[in-house]
Amino acid sequence: MKRIRDFIHKADMKRFRFWLQIFFFVIFIYGGYFAINLGTSIPVFSCGFDQEVGGMCYFLPLQHQLARPLDVLFSVASISVLIGFVTFLLWFIVFNKAWCGYACPLGTMQDWLTGLRKRLGIRYSTYTQPQFNKLKKIKYIMLALVILSPMAVGMGLLEREWVTAFCSICPGRMVTPLFVGDTSQWSLDFSSKSAMILTALGLVFTGLFVVGSFVKKRFFCFFCPMSAMHYIFSDAALLKLKKDGDKCTKCGDCYAVCDMQIKDIADDVTSTNILRDDCILCLKCVAACPEDDALHVDILNMKLFTSTKGGFEKRMGMQTYKGAADE
Amino acid sequence: MNSLQSHAIETPNEKQNRHKAMEAIKVLNTLKEGFKAPPKAMDYFYNLFEDVYCKQKPLHKDKVKVGTMCIQIPSEIIYALDGVPIRLCNGFYTDDEIGSEFLPQKACPLVKASVGHLASKNLIDKPDMIYSPTTCDQKTKAGTLIKSFGYDVVDVDFPRTKESEISREFFRRSIREFSADLSLKMGKKLSRKKLKASISKIGYAQSLYHRLSDFRKNRAVPILGNDMFLVTNAFFFDKIDNWIDACEKLVDELEQRVKDDIHAGGKISPRIVYTGSPPIFPNYKIPIIIEDSDAIIVADETCSSNRMFNDRVAVDEWFVNDMIDSLADKYLKACTCPIFSKNDDRIRRIIELVRSFNADGVIYQAFAGCTVYELEQRSVLEAMEREGISILYIESDYSPSQQGQLSTRVEAFVESLKIKNRNKT
Repeated sequence: MKRIRDFIHKADMKRFRFWLQIFFFVIFIYGGYFAINLGTSIPVFSCGFDQEVGGMCYFLPLQHQLARPLDVLFSVASISVLIGFVTFLLWFIVFNKAWCGYACPLGTMQDWLTGLRKRLGIRYSTYTQPQFNKLKKIKYIMLALVILSPMAVGMGLLEREWVTAFCSICPGRMVTPLFVGDTSQWSLDFSSKSAMILTALGLVFTGLFVVGSFVKKRFFCFFCPMSAMHYIFSDAALLKLKKDGDKCTKCGDCYAVCDMQIKDIADDVTSTNILRDDCILCLKCVAACPEDDALHVDILNMKLFTSTKGGFEKRMGMQTYKGAADE
Repeated sequence: MNSLQSHAIETPNEKQNRHKAMEAIKVLNTLKEGFKAPPKAMDYFYNLFEDVYCKQKPLHKDKVKVGTMCIQIPSEIIYALDGVPIRLCNGFYTDDEIGSEFLPQKACPLVKASVGHLASKNLIDKPDMIYSPTTCDQKTKAGTLIKSFGYDVVDVDFPRTKESEISREFFRRSIREFSADLSLKMGKKLSRKKLKASISKIGYAQSLYHRLSDFRKNRAVPILGNDMFLVTNAFFFDKIDNWIDACEKLVDELEQRVKDDIHAGGKISPRIVYTGSPPIFPNYKIPIIIEDSDAIIVADETCSSNRMFNDRVAVDEWFVNDMIDSLADKYLKACTCPIFSKNDDRIRRIIELVRSFNADGVIYQAFAGCTVYELEQRSVLEAMEREGISILYIESDYSPSQQGQLSTRVEAFVESLKIKNRNKT
């Protein structure tokens, strides 16, 4: 038992994550080819515009379901909306935000762009703290768009095109189908004024997505409404990111490796539940923590993966004299 | 006539060397012979200190030596530029007396000794340049004073708070400036490969310290606190490769000692966490009194020991700027120096050390004149009281006097801890 635990805690998280991400990428993007269908309530951006999707992003069906008159929306007829939502919650509650760090195809694509930049020897950029604090609110505005825009259509306030307003501007709609050779999303829709605005915005955001995530690690996740939605329910999740503040020395190693620049991970020594709204639960912080048990992921209060001195030394290439950390 | 010729008059430098040798050998002999047999691997360190301080043997003749006035100068960067960091914090009473000429009587003996040492210009490994982080008032002022002696001294800006984002950015910049300045002086570019290698090497050296420390968590503590101070002090000036080799041997030996259940202390010796002003060779006055009084130091929270080794650097992408930023964060954010406005981190660390090393009490020592440690004394004492941890506060300096009074106080404290332990069982 001890040996198994030792093996896990000293695991090469980078490689583990890389392969797990590929696994989920194949399932979600190419699932159709293997007749995999995990439903339409998946809590990641596995875009429904991809014909071969192996489990659809919950936002596309959600928006369609919400676009009905208010009296219908709040009647028994909407039991299907509720069922979809409960399924979403069930998926989410098991893995918490690890969906973002390990399963989201859009997240994986960003990590690949990061890898490319790293290969080219270009340093990543970061936000300053005030920028960070302002920008992080955008994802809640996006979430409001996801929910309110179809409702407004249902109430007759907006044109039909606004039902899936978020999908129209989401870079996932344009980028994801490319992986199955479908370029049909790459067009401006001139059929109406709203459609034109939305598809034009979509193009802009897709451009920003590619450039942004090349320069900044996990650029899009910062604005992701799914991430905002996750955070609302993350307290109920089974998988938890915990911190033992007594053992923390604030050395900042976790902050240095954090793709999302979450400062609390290093500076907050009072919260035990250290998951923040931007967190993607990639566990890089746990892997980079040099203190025994200061950071750990728990499932039902059982330590699944915890920070250890030995694991840190191994991952940072400090186990031997001549050792150098792996790239 | 003949007798007159053979009678050479001792120069001030010779006198200084002789006095320092006497101070050094006295402490080394106490460590070697005053206690139960020390680990054999300690011989390397005893000989090292004897060579350097009694025989004045230089260690880095052909290298560029970079003097540092505090721990906040990243030695990783110095090594990466092929320099050797020499920490100039000094523990000699002889140098303290020389320094008294330049600083107020009530100044901190550590600062006085460091200034005195540099004022005498009688250095074994003379630094080619000195970086002085602006930590406490006295160190900050000392930097300028030392410059007036003709040394190349560069101030490295260090913030006095560390919670704010401004301070983080400030110090990152400061370290970038430092590495640019050093790289200019060394005529070398800081390369990614070399910096990464030196971070790994220092990280490995730190891991060795962690391993040595972990042995002290056992009920039978295989090494004295004083010997550990000697090991960590050697890191101030030793050749890093030799230090690593010696520590590897020490780790192996202590591992065996733990298996054999060899205890460096007595059967009921209370376990002490040592904190406060740093014990720097040969000023082991208080640590020796503690371990002479049948207590054993199992851990410490000082900048001459634990604080140098505890925190290690992690980097995500290993570009030069990432590494520098991460280094800066470590040297600022993890630092528990009392010069900062708040000291919650230091209190948390002491409590954590007491818990994880299963200590019976804390001894807090401040040099008379070390204002910041004196200032913090009250809040630390209050926090320990809240946690139900016994603590003794003592003030001392580098002078060889007042031994009797200090040992009485320490002995009484150790005795009280023993009684407490007896009542518990």
